[in-house]
Amino acid sequence: MTDVVARGLTKTFGRVTAVRDMSFTAPAGTITGFLGPNGSGKTTTLRMALGLVQPTGGDVLIGGVPYARLAHPRRRVGALLEATGFHPGRRARDHLRVLAAAERIPDRRVDEVLGQVDLAEAAGRRVRGFSLGMRQRLGIAAALLGDPEVLLLDEPVNGLDPAGIAWLRGLLRRLAAEGRTILLASHLLGEIAQTADHVLIVSSGQLRFAGPLREIGETNEALESAFLDLT
Amino acid sequence: MPRALTTEFRKLATVRSPWLLLALGPLTVVAGISGLVASGGNVHDPALPGKAFAHVGLAAIFTLVFGILAVAGEYSRGTITDTFLSFPGRRSVITAKLAACGAVGAAAGLVSAGTALVVTAAWWSAKGGTFHLSAADTWRTLGGGVAANVAFAAIGVGVGALVRNLAAAVTAALAWVAVVEGILGQLIGSGLARWLPFSASESLDRASLTSSSGLLSRGLLAQWDGGLVMLGYTVAFAAAAVLITLKRDVT
Repeated sequence: MTDVVARGLTKTFGRVTAVRDMSFTAPAGTITGFLGPNGSGKTTTLRMALGLVQPTGGDVLIGGVPYARLAHPRRRVGALLEATGFHPGRRARDHLRVLAAAERIPDRRVDEVLGQVDLAEAAGRRVRGFSLGMRQRLGIAAALLGDPEVLLLDEPVNGLDPAGIAWLRGLLRRLAAEGRTILLASHLLGEIAQTADHVLIVSSGQLRFAGPLREIGETNEALESAFLDLT
Repeated sequence: MPRALTTEFRKLATVRSPWLLLALGPLTVVAGISGLVASGGNVHDPALPGKAFAHVGLAAIFTLVFGILAVAGEYSRGTITDTFLSFPGRRSVITAKLAACGAVGAAAGLVSAGTALVVTAAWWSAKGGTFHLSAADTWRTLGGGVAANVAFAAIGVGVGALVRNLAAAVTAALAWVAVVEGILGQLIGSGLARWLPFSASESLDRASLTSSSGLLSRGLLAQWDGGLVMLGYTVAFAAAAVLITLKRDVT
């Protein structure tokens, strides 16, 4: 059981405070929705959790340890970030094989996750020719590659069609039911209302609400009015 | 093999662009040596084979860009995020890139050296000249050329880490080689100019032999000294690359 815990997390870029004294817990076995308007600090928070951005203050612990000190980070934590890039000339399967090399994950597992995100037939194609939705699926495959107990996902439904969104929702529910920890950042309230157990609502880098979804309203309308009040 | 190094080799093995770039090295050698002979080089001149072999060092411009591409290319395309997620310590990423690019730089230099030998042998036999493989000069020039290919690949990794924007990094590096160092050298005088990186590499790979009246060909260091200076630059760029990479936020 691996919780994700932020403690007094703060980040300033020059004179701009992107994240201010944020503390929360994303418990294992649940989907925690991370909601906030564009530019509210969600992405910066996730990047700090993943050791990509150095906090000005505070920290994020994954199972009690900062990400940068995990011995096998890809086997513990899967991440999908918005700015994650692909080499346009690299084939989808090779993209995953590059990541697999970091943890000596066998090619068999690469093919398995390609099948899981429905990219088995496109595995040999260069990413250059992929649609936004296919790139998103490849990014999700990369996050799943190490069979991690924690998933940190930034706007994962971006570019997915309705069937893809429904598939992802089912997948995340199943993974949470297995006891994994899922932190799902989004500005799509409807998606969070349908998927999350817990919600964190941030605005201007500050946490405005943290608690079970039912406390704030499980319907899209209730969540929307609470969100607009808080942000 | 360390996991970071396997990762770097797998990255290189799964794309084409860096290899197309490196193929320009041997092509430059073929064109350069052919030009040397076609422009009236006398194959009976005992100094001419050395001038032919010195083209191997010129191919290092491509290993320089290759090294830049290995780092700045990742920043430009955003794949650096995944790389640092795999190796959050980051130091292993830069050392693996230095090792992988150095090894590929050595291989590219050896291919260029082999190409130089074959092309020179072909021209000399076509023109009825003779040259001796056993000449110490041959191996000094070829060896220096290969070393320059390795050093520039590693320096490229450093430049790419310092200037993450791919276009800016390549432009800056090529501008330095083609323009900036020459002007700076005139300002500070040849006594100091010979310590600058491109001049030092010219003494290492004896590229000055290819231009009899080049601005930079006057007052170069001895080959071994040039090699030591290049080693110094390589270590300095590598250390700077590691230090800056450890600190910087990836947003």
